[in-house]
This record gives sequence, structure tokens and C-alpha cells, in this order.
Amino acid sequence: MNRAADAPASAALQVVLAAVNAAIYGYGVAGARLGPGPRAAAQQTWTELQAIRDDLASMLAARGAQPTAARAAYQLPFPVHSPHAAASLAGYLEDRLAAAYLGLVALEDPQLRSWGARQAQACAVRATGWTGRTTAFPGLRL
Amino acid sequence: MRAELKRRSVLAVTVAAVPALAAGCKGVGALGPPPREGPEVAVLRGAIRAENVMIARYRSAMSAAPQLRGTLSPVLSQHEAHLAALRARLIVPAGAPSQPSLSGPVPSGAAAAEPPAGVLARLEAAESAAASALTRRLAGLSPSLAQLLASIAASEASHATLLRAHRDTG
Repeated sequence: MNRAADAPASAALQVVLAAVNAAIYGYGVAGARLGPGPRAAAQQTWTELQAIRDDLASMLAARGAQPTAARAAYQLPFPVHSPHAAASLAGYLEDRLAAAYLGLVALEDPQLRSWGARQAQACAVRATGWTGRTTAFPGLRL
Repeated sequence: MRAELKRRSVLAVTVAAVPALAAGCKGVGALGPPPREGPEVAVLRGAIRAENVMIARYRSAMSAAPQLRGTLSPVLSQHEAHLAALRARLIVPAGAPSQPSLSGPVPSGAAAAEPPAGVLARLEAAESAAASALTRRLAGLSPSLAQLLASIAASEASHATLLRAHRDTG
């Protein structure tokens, strides 16, 4: 594997990994404030994100890059003291994740591009599940 | 060597210039075929056509089921934003043959009143299909266009989710 040629892919994967680690933390916070039904949904996403984190670590290792470790804690974008705020936090985390996945879409590697696009869709779908709203350009600031 | 190259390129320019001079003021078209449209232009045109069709679907749905206006109108606005962003990317070279229509065939007609559940189900299917179609066209595009189309596809996938939720809660 040519590591120099893969530097942009590694950098974009690290950005996704950082967003996934932040989302794992955030979903943990949100889950504690949600009612039983939504909490189960948050737990499912939390579990899926952990699997994705492991996949990302493997993808980075295969490119000779050291996966950046998660931080012990992350600053929340707003206080989360209610189920409503928890759902808003989940929607926020999904938009940040979608933005990171769009970084993979910018790569020329067709597999990473396609995976990034599918993941960005999944993020937008989950965000709508949390907020009940849709946006015109998930993950993009136009 | 260098002089030789230079003389050749001067000749090439002259050869190209002769028809232009001969053509006088017949306009850009007389210079010869316009530059070929890149693959991105074809993808953009397809995406623009698809957004136009989607916008027409929403307008028709809102007249068939006026009680859905509150749900559908924000989604329609987002499709209009998609269309504007796509159009802003489409730069047609001067002298390119004009396209017959960017809007393509559009489901038309004053829609007869229809039960909301059916309207929502059809729009949901159209959104899912549009998201899949865009996602399949990303290979080979410039990074920024690929990102725009992927984001639009994500928006459309989330529209399908929203419509399904409204159908379920009815």
C-alpha cells in the first residue's frame, strides 16, 4: 500500500473516527435523558457506532495510520437536561457525523466514496427520526 | 527544437484561425463544434431533471391532498433549494447546442382528490428512488459535486423517512 498516496484517505477517516467517538459519547449522554422507547433506539445506534469505530480503526491500520483515541469527555453543544434536549443532541450529532462522512465522499477511492455516501444517508435518516425535521443539505454548509 | 515546436504551434493556430476569419461574423457556431460536454454536465442535467420532476410531484400532491400542505411544503422548499444549488453548478459552454428541456417529462394534470396515505406512499417511493439514483452516480465526479449530490441524496432519504412517519401516524 502506498502510504503517501493514501494520506488524504487516512486524514478523512480520522475525521470520521473523531466524529464517531464524539457521537458515542453524546449518545451515551442522550440515552440517559430519553424515555424507554427512544432510549432503545439510542442504544442501538450507540452499538452500531461502536462497530463502525472498530471498522474505522481497521481501515486506518491497513493504511499504516494510528487511529486517534477517543477523549475522556466531550463538550456538549448545549445543556442536556430533558428528553427533548437529548433528542436534539442526537440530531446534532448525526449532522456532525454526516459532515464527516461527506469528507470520505470527497475522496477519489470509489469504495470509500460510496460508503461515505451511504453512511451520510443513514445519518440524515436517523437525524429526522430524532428531530422530526429534514434539511436540504445534511452535513454541508452551503 | 524549441523553435521548431513554436513554429508548428503558430501554424496550428493559423490553420484554426482561417475558418474563423472566413466565417466573418457568423458567430461562435461557425468556429466548429463546441467543446464536448464533460461527464459532470450529463450527471448535473440528470439531477436537475430529477429535481424538476420531484417538484412537480409535490405541487400535484398538494393540490390532490390539500390537507398535506403543512407536511409537504417544507419538503418542497428543500427540493427547490436542491434545484437552485444544482443549477448554480451547471455552466454550459457558449455555443453548445441548447437542450430541448431540462424539466423532462413531468407528471402533470390537475390531480384529482386523493387519500393522503396514497399520496404520501407515492412520494416516499419517489424520494427513495431519487436518493438511490443519485448515490449510484457519484463515481468519477469532482469532490465538491460528489459531496453536493451525496448530501442531496441524504436529504431525499430523510424525506422518505419523514413521509413514512406521517403515513404511520396518519
